[in-house]
Amino acid sequence: MTNVTIRVQRFNPDVDQKPHLDEFQIELTQGKTILDALHEIKEEQDGSVTFRRSCRHAICGSCAMNVNGVNMLVCDAPLKDFVDRRGRVTIRPLPYLPIIKDLVVDRTSFWEQYQRVKPWLLPPDDVPEKEFRMSPDEVKALQDAEHCIMCGACYSACQVVAMSKKYIGPHALLKAFLRVLDPRDSAPGERLTDLDQGDGVFRCHTIFNCIDACPKHLNPTQAIETLRKLVMKRQAFEAARAQRQQSLDQPISVE
Amino acid sequence: MSQSSDITHDVLVVGAGLAGTWAAMIASQAGVTDVAILSKLHPLRSHSGAAQGGIAAALNNVRPINPNEKRGDLEPIPPGDDPIDSWELHMKDTIKGSAWLGDQNAIKIMVQDAIDIVYTYEHMGCVFSRTPDGRINQRRFGGHSVPRANFAADWTGHVLLHTVYEQACKQGVKFYSEWYALDLIVEDNVCKGLVAIDITTGELHLMRAKAVMFGTGGYGRAWRITSNATANTGDGVALAYNAGVPLMDMEFVQFHPTGLYRHGILMSEACRGEGGYLVNNSGDRFMEDYAPDRMELAPRDIVSRSEQTEIDEGRGVEADGQGIHLDMRHLGHERILERLPQVREIALKFAGVDIIDHPAPIQPTAHYSMGGIPADVNGQVIRDADGTPVTGFYAAGECACISVHGANRLGTNSLLGASVFGRRAGYAIAEFIQGGAQLQPIQGNPLERNRQRIARFKSDPANGKTESWAAVARELKDTMTTNVGIFRNETRLRKALDDIKRLQEHFGQVRVMDKSARFNTDILGALETKHLLTFSEVIAASALARTESRGAHSRTDHDAPDNGNWLKHTLAHPNDDDGPTLSYKAVDIDWDNHPPEVRKY
Repeated sequence: MTNVTIRVQRFNPDVDQKPHLDEFQIELTQGKTILDALHEIKEEQDGSVTFRRSCRHAICGSCAMNVNGVNMLVCDAPLKDFVDRRGRVTIRPLPYLPIIKDLVVDRTSFWEQYQRVKPWLLPPDDVPEKEFRMSPDEVKALQDAEHCIMCGACYSACQVVAMSKKYIGPHALLKAFLRVLDPRDSAPGERLTDLDQGDGVFRCHTIFNCIDACPKHLNPTQAIETLRKLVMKRQAFEAARAQRQQSLDQPISVE
Repeated sequence: MSQSSDITHDVLVVGAGLAGTWAAMIASQAGVTDVAILSKLHPLRSHSGAAQGGIAAALNNVRPINPNEKRGDLEPIPPGDDPIDSWELHMKDTIKGSAWLGDQNAIKIMVQDAIDIVYTYEHMGCVFSRTPDGRINQRRFGGHSVPRANFAADWTGHVLLHTVYEQACKQGVKFYSEWYALDLIVEDNVCKGLVAIDITTGELHLMRAKAVMFGTGGYGRAWRITSNATANTGDGVALAYNAGVPLMDMEFVQFHPTGLYRHGILMSEACRGEGGYLVNNSGDRFMEDYAPDRMELAPRDIVSRSEQTEIDEGRGVEADGQGIHLDMRHLGHERILERLPQVREIALKFAGVDIIDHPAPIQPTAHYSMGGIPADVNGQVIRDADGTPVTGFYAAGECACISVHGANRLGTNSLLGASVFGRRAGYAIAEFIQGGAQLQPIQGNPLERNRQRIARFKSDPANGKTESWAAVARELKDTMTTNVGIFRNETRLRKALDDIKRLQEHFGQVRVMDKSARFNTDILGALETKHLLTFSEVIAASALARTESRGAHSRTDHDAPDNGNWLKHTLAHPNDDDGPTLSYKAVDIDWDNHPPEVRKY
């Protein structure tokens, strides 16, 4: 049996001056994930090791952490893929965020930015009896943004966020993209005006860290690029949206 | 004992999945200003978000190209053509799926409200998949006689959860994120509030409310193989039971036919809805022997039993023969990527299998709890067969038993039930508050009682012997899996009850290693394990008493339904001395239109 050394960053701000690494030995078995290893440590070696998790299949967004320097979800990360040449795996909390305890970070700024972009749809006043009609292509354009699980991996990988928590951040900009691009949303103009502020879309340095960090293979940078273009032609976009909303209750014409 | 430092709200909802968030949002929209939700996770981590395949409603957007085919391709229904679906047909399917244990008055409300609730989700911004002409797309699902699963790819629950959370934020609902309810306070049959721990600080708070609503979800974590999140430890049902509220129909636990082999992670029923096959080690589509008409799209209880029979008789796959193959290769690359992207990713990541090229290994997995806290169609919790209400206490979603799912839930009816009854509970709560409900004084000292409970876990044991909650939980899962699984009998159920009693005694010695106050998940693990023990005993006792097979409750020693004796709901009442005391409640049946029949697919 092969053993792996799991190094876990420990920190309880109530008692510790600064973070340190604790080492645990875990047997490397087929199919074991990094989350499985953390559970094993907590249940069999040290009950005080603290981390968030829930669904264990990459949909709830709880378990984003930093493994060997890379942000990821640990629930669907096979342990064997992350063992370094010295037989170690090093797990730290998401960087650039305050630590609550061990691997648990304080996501307050992350959620504040989420709220800031008004993540809810602002539909037109006239709501049809049945569904608003949307074409499969209109839906496809939203698919990435819709799939975001708000895990924070991108946010904590972003160099701009690292410098300033006032920046809206890739997660909230992706959410803003979802609303701006949705034909049912009646306020794309207001949204784009807000995103045009100093801490908005033009603050992105296009470093692409968010793309690398995203466990769902989404592309926040591209969404930000699109939003930048729309900011530049906001009035035309608003007019096109108003036009589109005239026929939201009409069938999409099928060729 | 009430103090000025107590937290008070008009309405306090526990659980931020679909049921709880709907209730809070609606109560707030209806004019109640002080509404709060407490959740042990951030609301967007709730397990509603893990639902994949769809939400049922008879929208009549698509139909089979060949009307006589139970499988095969679908097309949009052209404008002006006759509808193929109706709430009546949805009702008929749900009743049959429930093995006639579902209350038909409640089912009728659910399927009627279904159509409006799906359109409401759409109007709130939910991004559903679409037909070419722009309507919400629909797929087939097990036990439904027509395609009525309205879907967003295979992450339907995720988009519904995010949508309703956004709306609750817009509405100004207050969220206590990462707070954990420890104790529900019911005195003289009036619910007065609860004790909760702020997980981040470790501080305990007495939270008083005019109305408390539970949307605390299910409890699949009592089994070794489960699709459920680690959070699904049945806290709500255990809290209600500890407060003197009975639990209904707890013996009915659904095993989903397609959990990923050894992991139990959900591989959506949409895999079969889109046309996937189940095959044994000889490559045979064995469902032909069990449900020749519906095949893989028979209801879940039947498909899971069929799989387990194949496995038990030596026709399973994988080295230990404990798996079955789910074959989707014939669906083709494009359809899998468009319709089942999440499922593909799960199989790739956890089993190393690309479902485009290979069958996925699966096995039955503990999935959904049909039973729970008894409630009426407005989410009002009741305490006996006469429907006596527990004043100020409401429940909806998986933690509740309303009962629409009876002995077996149909796929896509859970997102529906949570939404419809969460919404109805919201209206009922608003009416209760606006009718003059008041905060009630609390007699005992629940805060101190719970401080002592937590202190005990951190204390040194009297005899120096300690037990870990994880070890207790592991043993419990072993016995629940072996003895209270898909197939049950008297010997096994008695063994389970003995094991649970022994484990409950062991639990007295449980101590935690983490003695700190801040974000103590070791303490949470202990409290959750106690909850698992509490409701598992109720499940086993209810299952032992029910000497018949119905829906998900399958007894090898009583292998047929017994409508003469057992067409009734179980009510398990807490009894300090020796496990639950059982009583029974009549099922609401429309004998003229939906009398019990032989359940064949």
